Amino acid sequence: MNDSQQKKAEAEKTRAVLNHNQAKIKLCLEACASCSICAESCFLFNNNNHDPRFMPSYKVINSLGVLYKKKGRVGTEQLKRMQDLVWRNCVLCTRCYCPLGIDIPDLIALARSLLRTRGVCGVYPHTLGAPEEEYIMEWDPQELSDPDEDPDTQR
Amino acid sequence: MYEFVTGPLLWISFLIFFSGTLYRIRRLYSLTEKREVTVTPPGAAAPPAAAVSAEERKLNLVVSFQNSLLGKHPVMAIVSTIFHICLFAAPLLSQAHNLLIYESWGISFISIPDKLCDVLTIIFLACAVFFLVRRLTVPKVIAVSSPYDFLVLFITAAPFLSGFCAYHQWLDYKTVLTAHVITGEIMLVAIPFTKLGHMVFFFFVRILIGGEYSFGSGRRAWKT
Repeated sequence: MNDSQQKKAEAEKTRAVLNHNQAKIKLCLEACASCSICAESCFLFNNNNHDPRFMPSYKVINSLGVLYKKKGRVGTEQLKRMQDLVWRNCVLCTRCYCPLGIDIPDLIALARSLLRTRGVCGVYPHTLGAPEEEYIMEWDPQELSDPDEDPDTQR
Repeated sequence: MYEFVTGPLLWISFLIFFSGTLYRIRRLYSLTEKREVTVTPPGAAAPPAAAVSAEERKLNLVVSFQNSLLGKHPVMAIVSTIFHICLFAAPLLSQAHNLLIYESWGISFISIPDKLCDVLTIIFLACAVFFLVRRLTVPKVIAVSSPYDFLVLFITAAPFLSGFCAYHQWLDYKTVLTAHVITGEIMLVAIPFTKLGHMVFFFFVRILIGGEYSFGSGRRAWKT
């Protein structure tokens, strides 16, 4: 499969997921009053100097909202920003609270599913907020073995 | 003009409001399904409730309050509640509105004195100004605000502002009164099709959908 065929296949998958959830996404995005009350329910928002990029509604509007409005037709740069929003800025702890009853974690999980259809996935140490050079490390399988265990029985 | 906006245009806006709201409820309902609420196998006895001391109960209440909207955002919670009470109370209980309903259909709701209705309108407009200032100055609100949010706030406040001007007979009375009816009709029509639809969404989701924050047991769940 060449590059353009792969992109076409990815776009079709994105559209399929969007179409399947279209009604719910539309209703939830329409219901959001942009009141920002959800902000303080996110521990990442509270622990990142109240940076709005960690606010639950901001994450949904700027990932799922954009994907929905543009019918999945977004560029690589935007996909990268969305990846940061839904994986680095959210651990999907499901503690976010919306006074109107919008299921924010469900929408972020949906945004993740949509991004996966475009080959964009989460790298978990991202969620710790560390820069790349700090979490990419060489690991030794020996370190994972239980130090109390008899080395002979491991073989 | 006045006859037209209080006649056919009013009926059209009522029709759009009620049919649009019903359509929205129908659509929300179709996206949900009956929720399984059984937690113990049929016939099995429910596990005994753990004994909770008075102190634990008190601590639970304190923590629950601290985590509630009133505990975390007291000003926003109070202003928002007052705003929504006035939003319904002022137009529905207004003596002038009830008189019009009585003249048309021979029925009326309970009405409140004009002076009280005026006070409710002033409180409502003050709350609207609070939301506007908040949207213009608080970084977390600015981050998710678009011109659409300002438009929605304007659509909500406009009938109250024009009604206030009409009651105090500011500017040309007939023009202001016509503007009051038109802005009211615009708000009615906007409810089912804009962000104001959260009126329907809020009651539907918080009452019918089961979850941590639902009012009551919540018999339905979102379809997967």
